Amino acid sequence: MSLSRTLSVFLGCTALMACAPAAKQTATAPAVAKAPAQTAAFTPGEMVMRRLSGEQYQNIVADVFGPSIELGGRFEPDLRVGGLLAVGAGTVSITAVGMEQFDAMARNIATQVVSDKNRALMIPCKPADVKAADDACVGIFMTRVGELLYRRPLTEAELKSYIGVAHLAADATKDFYAGLSTSLAAMLSSPKFLFRQELVTANTDGTYSLDAYSKASQLSFFLWNSIPDLPLLAAARKGELGTRAGVAKQVDRMMASPRLEHGVRAFFTDNFGFDEFNGLTKDAVLFPKFSAQAANDAQEQTLRTIVDLLLKNRGDYRDIFTTKKTFLTQELGAIYQVPVVDESPNGAPDAWLPFEFAKDDPRGGILTQMSFTSLHSPPGRGSPTLRGKALREVLLCQKVPAPPAAVKFDIVQDTNNPVYKTARDRLNAHASNPVCAGCHKIIDPLGLALENFDGAGAFRTTEQGVKIDTSGALDGVKFTGAAELGKAVHDNPATTACLVNRLTSYAVGREVKDTAWLEALKTSFAATGYRLPDLMHAIATSDAFFTVAAPKTQTASAQ
Amino acid sequence: MAVGQISKSLFQRQFLTVLGGAAVAAATFSVPAQAADSRNFVVGWFTHATDSKDGDCPGGVNPDITIQYMKNLALLGYTPAQIEAMAKKELDGGDEIAEAMRLRGRVDGKPIEPFTYPETAIDPKLVSGIGKTGYGFDLDGKDGPNGYEDPLTHQKGVDNEMFRALGCMRTFRGSLQGRPTYWAWAWGQLLDSQPAWLVNVTGEDLTKDGEVTVTFDRALTHLRVNADGNPREDSTYRADPDPRSHNVYKGVLKNGEITIKDAGQFRMLQNPLVAPELNLSRAQLRLTLKKDGTLSAFVGGYQPWRDVYLSFAGPGPAYEACVTGDIPGIYYLLKRHADGDPDPKTGQNATISTTYYMEAVRAFVVPAALQIKPAGN
Repeated sequence: MSLSRTLSVFLGCTALMACAPAAKQTATAPAVAKAPAQTAAFTPGEMVMRRLSGEQYQNIVADVFGPSIELGGRFEPDLRVGGLLAVGAGTVSITAVGMEQFDAMARNIATQVVSDKNRALMIPCKPADVKAADDACVGIFMTRVGELLYRRPLTEAELKSYIGVAHLAADATKDFYAGLSTSLAAMLSSPKFLFRQELVTANTDGTYSLDAYSKASQLSFFLWNSIPDLPLLAAARKGELGTRAGVAKQVDRMMASPRLEHGVRAFFTDNFGFDEFNGLTKDAVLFPKFSAQAANDAQEQTLRTIVDLLLKNRGDYRDIFTTKKTFLTQELGAIYQVPVVDESPNGAPDAWLPFEFAKDDPRGGILTQMSFTSLHSPPGRGSPTLRGKALREVLLCQKVPAPPAAVKFDIVQDTNNPVYKTARDRLNAHASNPVCAGCHKIIDPLGLALENFDGAGAFRTTEQGVKIDTSGALDGVKFTGAAELGKAVHDNPATTACLVNRLTSYAVGREVKDTAWLEALKTSFAATGYRLPDLMHAIATSDAFFTVAAPKTQTASAQ
Repeated sequence: MAVGQISKSLFQRQFLTVLGGAAVAAATFSVPAQAADSRNFVVGWFTHATDSKDGDCPGGVNPDITIQYMKNLALLGYTPAQIEAMAKKELDGGDEIAEAMRLRGRVDGKPIEPFTYPETAIDPKLVSGIGKTGYGFDLDGKDGPNGYEDPLTHQKGVDNEMFRALGCMRTFRGSLQGRPTYWAWAWGQLLDSQPAWLVNVTGEDLTKDGEVTVTFDRALTHLRVNADGNPREDSTYRADPDPRSHNVYKGVLKNGEITIKDAGQFRMLQNPLVAPELNLSRAQLRLTLKKDGTLSAFVGGYQPWRDVYLSFAGPGPAYEACVTGDIPGIYYLLKRHADGDPDPKTGQNATISTTYYMEAVRAFVVPAALQIKPAGN
């Protein structure tokens, strides 16, 4: 759990403890340009029902019950659609095995909540008799917890059902807290908790608007990657989210919160595909410095770089491709071959230290960071093709076709080839096959610019004794190496357009194809100097953010 | 630009960036003002320099500890029948032999543990090496009958009596390629419990022959290693300002090899597992800057042999059975082969000639005084 989340929990108490979460603006919180809510014509997208991600589940449990609660289970793999797990979340269900895990986690969490250690803090009432059911106390607890976990007040029927479950279980076990635990576990296993359901109200133009509580969830999961806090729920209850001014007021408050960092981290973690690090391996003989710790640190380095530049310093988004400023640990310093002076004692976790590469240093920008170069490389070598493909698809939102079947990669993979000594040589030989040439022509030059970084991200100048040629061109803009590639990406209009597209899709959980809305956002993004907080603000205050199309007849009948 | 060059330039350049105003001090520490070329290393392997070969022990190497214990029992006066009976019981889980060996010292006829006072035990007269080659230096300037020939430099008259003394103990046998069991085991303990050792080599141009300065320091933190246990290159260490582990020598670089004669004292705080302090007098050093960017070094001199003994004896009988072999026997070996600093009254030599071997990898090194605060969690 990050420090800021821990702080938010402790300073603001957990949501369950009914303390107002800290909304005080911190010194590092971004000042957001007050662009007017986007009101241009737009085409609403389809309604989606998203499964909570593992991180969201963790965040919710921490926000509601505190950071000490352990989950004790595993999450199902997520599905990436349109480049985002957040979009895939709207297309996945829960398998039997996955439900088993959710059930186990729910029981584990509930047991901890009602435990002797925690009950006084987390349960706002005491039963008249601990050996018997107490519907009143259960009602108080479930009403409060239910509003947080369901992101809306429980209906009377729902509350009655949970009270009934607790009553039956308490009667059977002669234990009030066992009953309460059973009821809470049931709630944590409910689809209404595990899925983000969009409840809507009909508009006069045939579209539908999210209801107040669904709006609150839309905002909180986008900006904080967790549930609405009590003030946001209160605003929904009072009808304040029914007006643009009311929404803007809440967005301003939420963006001033340190929790905005969670939202930003969650988006970039998803967009950059950092979940792929979970299965990333490297040949220990070829890349002895690569370790699980280094892989974790690599992701954190990029996220820290982004948060520092885009949130804390309100920098230009495009500068993430050129910035020399970053943060390093000892672990990363060894890979990057730079000194990282860490005062931590033996055995302590590595400290994160600010670091700035020199102007003429080959490293700079996230493309040269280990999180990009190592993630998009197979276990035993670097891969210009994978790196180029990732750059096109992830950062420029350009689709690269899958390779044709039965293609031979033996030359490309032969890093000891005595004739084709460098990756460029091998790819040239491989791309002489006209079937392969088309795609390699658009992806290889980008990846070859990063050939100074081996499969684990360490710098090198030669391969098999031959000097590496890192020159190439991106959409007609020539470069001689990684630094100039970063500048070319920085200046490419597709770069910012891609971010707008991805962030918007991430926010609404579906691939946004509404060009009018996207164009308006791109325009406002450019007008604000490509400031990420401003873009997030513009999305969060857009009418389109809260509007969906009429449900398809088939879908409606299925419901 | 080669990786090594980048490493060097990054060190100088990035250090300025990271530490700002402290950079001048950093440069002074690791890169003397006049010097154009400076390389830092961290020691990633430390061992006694051994060169064991077949046939270098008269009658073979000393027996395994279980056999040696039988011999020791006989020295204590146990009859063959008694020893056999004890051995049978040992097979059934008894511990009579272990107990007898734990208490094989005698004071006024009473059994005591001999490890702290090894002369209370009978000298088992373990054999020592008779080989002709051994790593090291001609420390006394004489090519006497015990002088080895160094297998690398072919220098004759090499004094390495510690190798001779321990050269027939099973766990101390090995070579530069085949690591001695004891030292491999010891290193496994040391690297996680001992602050790392740092080496700096500075000269006008380390790719050319010339005068150089070699500095040994101790770090404040342990060696950082890769997942396979090998030392991690390019890690950063803060040098301990403790002068007890600060050694500066002038040497000559020729064909990639640095020779330091008449180094005087070589003193590094170490670890009680090996010796609380590695203290060599009349030291000589030979370091090799390898093409792959690593460094190897031989450091020889006269070492107080009782320090060496006590490091073996400290952990006691379990250590003897599992790691070193007969500990009082080692005491007598070291005492017999001690060849330096005779006591004016008794004539007993207080030190023993020895040579240690180290391998080191590239590292960044800064003085401990240069402290910068972490950026937060």
